[in-house]
Amino acid sequence: MTFRLTCPVCGKRDVYEFTFGGQDRGPRPAQEGLSAEEHFRWVQFRMIPGGWEGGEGGGVREGDRAAPQEEWWYHGQGCGVWFRTTRDPGTNREVEGGGGG
Amino acid sequence: MRLRRLWRPTPLKRHYDVIIIGGGVHGLATAYYLSRDFGITDVAVLESQYLGFGGSGRNTAIVRANQRTPENVRLYDEGLKLWRVLTDELDFNLMFFNCGSLLLGHSEASVGAFRMAASTHNFMGVHSELLDPRQCAEVIPGLDISDRPAFPIHAGLYHPPGGIVRHDAVVWGLAKGAAAHGVHIHQGCEVRGIDTDRGRVTGVRTSLGDIGCNRLGIMAGGYSSAIAAMLGIELPIHPLTIQAMVTHPLKPFLHHVFSSTAYHVYANQTLKGEIATGAHMDPQVNYTTDATAYYLKHQAEALVDLMPALRGVRFMRIWAGLADMTPDMAPIMEGHLGYDGLFLDAGWGYFGFKSGPVAGKYMAEYMATGERPEILEAFQLKRFLENRYSGETAAVMKYGHWD
Repeated sequence: MTFRLTCPVCGKRDVYEFTFGGQDRGPRPAQEGLSAEEHFRWVQFRMIPGGWEGGEGGGVREGDRAAPQEEWWYHGQGCGVWFRTTRDPGTNREVEGGGGG
Repeated sequence: MRLRRLWRPTPLKRHYDVIIIGGGVHGLATAYYLSRDFGITDVAVLESQYLGFGGSGRNTAIVRANQRTPENVRLYDEGLKLWRVLTDELDFNLMFFNCGSLLLGHSEASVGAFRMAASTHNFMGVHSELLDPRQCAEVIPGLDISDRPAFPIHAGLYHPPGGIVRHDAVVWGLAKGAAAHGVHIHQGCEVRGIDTDRGRVTGVRTSLGDIGCNRLGIMAGGYSSAIAAMLGIELPIHPLTIQAMVTHPLKPFLHHVFSSTAYHVYANQTLKGEIATGAHMDPQVNYTTDATAYYLKHQAEALVDLMPALRGVRFMRIWAGLADMTPDMAPIMEGHLGYDGLFLDAGWGYFGFKSGPVAGKYMAEYMATGERPEILEAFQLKRFLENRYSGETAAVMKYGHWD
């Protein structure tokens, strides 16, 4: 099933109107004193917990961080705005109230 | 007729020497080679659903060795040669159909890239050749090589050693082989946490209770990044959904695998006569296997543009699986990852099926000896921290925002 994202300008629209801009990991680290390794870790490494309900007996996985993550999206086939929203990679859906920042 | 089980249920022990998370091709192959080649039989394969539930049973079964870089070609070439060996060794017909594959290019740039790729393959002793559009139509007569399609065909990279393997058979055959050597297979056993003590992996917490181990292999395909997250390990992996579908059965007319760099389509005709075809990936990271009407439509349009005779053919089924994408389109095969005894075999993207047995063979060696086999040198995690990416993205396609 496809799903909809909440554009801050256009409201709920089909996800295929948008371009995924990746996990929001905060501002770029200050370059001064930054090692190459720290730089590349920031550029490419991320943690994406599943956070889905366990099979038999349910239960959230121990050691998981909360699964929903802040993300950047671009409404390329709409109004052209970049915005942030909260989405759960475990369910693929926008989290309630996650729309447009 | 007497029915024989391929493997028998085994008791769940409270401790194993080696635990492998993931009952797919990679995990089962690793268990198979651990037990067969290294005498390590105190091994459990834990699968949260059923064997082959993940990518192993959801791919379009295409195998080939026409990767871009020498390090990758070498590994995939050995992997391609294993299908015949394993069919014999496992005494199980993996139905390897050596039909060859044809990759289509739709731009001047793709012709140059194909020339480079074919040169690499030939240098590595792998058969590949550059075809002009007319030659492409001789190999696959239904292709429209005129200027009419949105992306006209400029060239083809023909790779006769490729083909199709029955993916369920691979899973079952490897499970049979591993179990025959004493490996325990536990289905419906979901890992929910990983225990460590003073920098060592000591066990896993599962839906069936806690199980101790000395060595742990994360080989859970698209779910591997979620497993690593249980230990707070960050990886350069994006899990993405990739969709596939089959048409109703047709008379045999397509005798090769073909794929297109511009349409993001790959297709083959199964032994049942269906056209099995896969699409590009949904762009946002997720762990679902959602299929969408959007890709069904895209796929129909792309296939009909490439091969007009397919107009009116109906899709029967659509499904999706996960592809664990790395920034350089090459896998991560790593040992002692943050913890002693922790091994990772992941980041295969959509190449996980074709690479399964050979990856298992070398991961088994790595886990058994503790020494990284030379062939895996190129697939270390640290390359991403040293800005020494594999050149695999120098193929033709624009993949996505993560590369």
